[in-house]
Amino acid sequence: MDFYDWMLALHLLSAFAIASALTLYSVMVVVGRRADDAEPRRTLFRLAPLGTPLVGGGSVLALILGVILAIDSDTFEIWDGWVIAALVLWAVMGAIGGQTGRYYTAVQKLAEEGGEGAQQEVAARLRAPTGAMLHLATVAVFVLILLDMLFKPGA
Amino acid sequence: MLAAVRPHSWDLAIFVHVAGAMIMMGGLVTAAGAGLIGWRDGAATLRRIAALTLFAVALPGWIIMRVGAEWAYSKEGWDDVPDKLQPTWLGIGYITADVGGIILLIALILGGIGVRKARGGGGTGLLKASTVLAALLIAVYVVSVWAMGGKPS
Repeated sequence: MDFYDWMLALHLLSAFAIASALTLYSVMVVVGRRADDAEPRRTLFRLAPLGTPLVGGGSVLALILGVILAIDSDTFEIWDGWVIAALVLWAVMGAIGGQTGRYYTAVQKLAEEGGEGAQQEVAARLRAPTGAMLHLATVAVFVLILLDMLFKPGA
Repeated sequence: MLAAVRPHSWDLAIFVHVAGAMIMMGGLVTAAGAGLIGWRDGAATLRRIAALTLFAVALPGWIIMRVGAEWAYSKEGWDDVPDKLQPTWLGIGYITADVGGIILLIALILGGIGVRKARGGGGTGLLKASTVLAALLIAVYVVSVWAMGGKPS
């Protein structure tokens, strides 16, 4: 394996880290919407710290290694349409993902506060479409990046 | 990712393979994470989520990954290449997918029985064993992803 192969393998592993975090968050969104009591909801939020390094580290590494691959490659350039599309989609995913994270972090803080009123608000926010739609949009953009990377339109 | 240029006729099969693998890996990470974080909990909430995630996410992901693998294998013409001439990365992929599938099946059975017993307050050991197998599978599939990406020899 040469330098390029190693970068490609690590780039792919970074993408898998992002996918793993998105899957974890999907499970949390689904289970959170169905949870009836305060305790299972609080328990569920304990999973969130697992996703943070996966999605954060995975995103940064995928970007850096992707740029290195584009520079090192003899067959394509960083200004190719599909590479630029991937960079734009990466930024869009980061923006929507950040918004999703802020939404659920606020819900988690509310859940940790306790109190009957707060717990009702937590349940309402977990069942509201806002968070789920934001998460779905993040996943959709990730799938678009995956399609762009694999199909390489224009290459 | 997957920066090599290949015939576009292979793309869909490889997309199905990679998407399935990502779903499976996500299911394994979620299951192992939930099981380990809830390892010492009195309530079985997280251990139950771990077992159910293996069934509802990792298993469908494994099936999609495996179907995609066969499709890609056929599209890329490996059917026509004698086994001894096939590259190492392909062998690593096959071995990890199939051995991993057996381990996943065992984890599912242990988790399924564990979830049933958890309703009566038992099953902790079975659910923990299922978590350990999920964690082992993550290591197996990280090697597989590395091999598929870097394609050694």
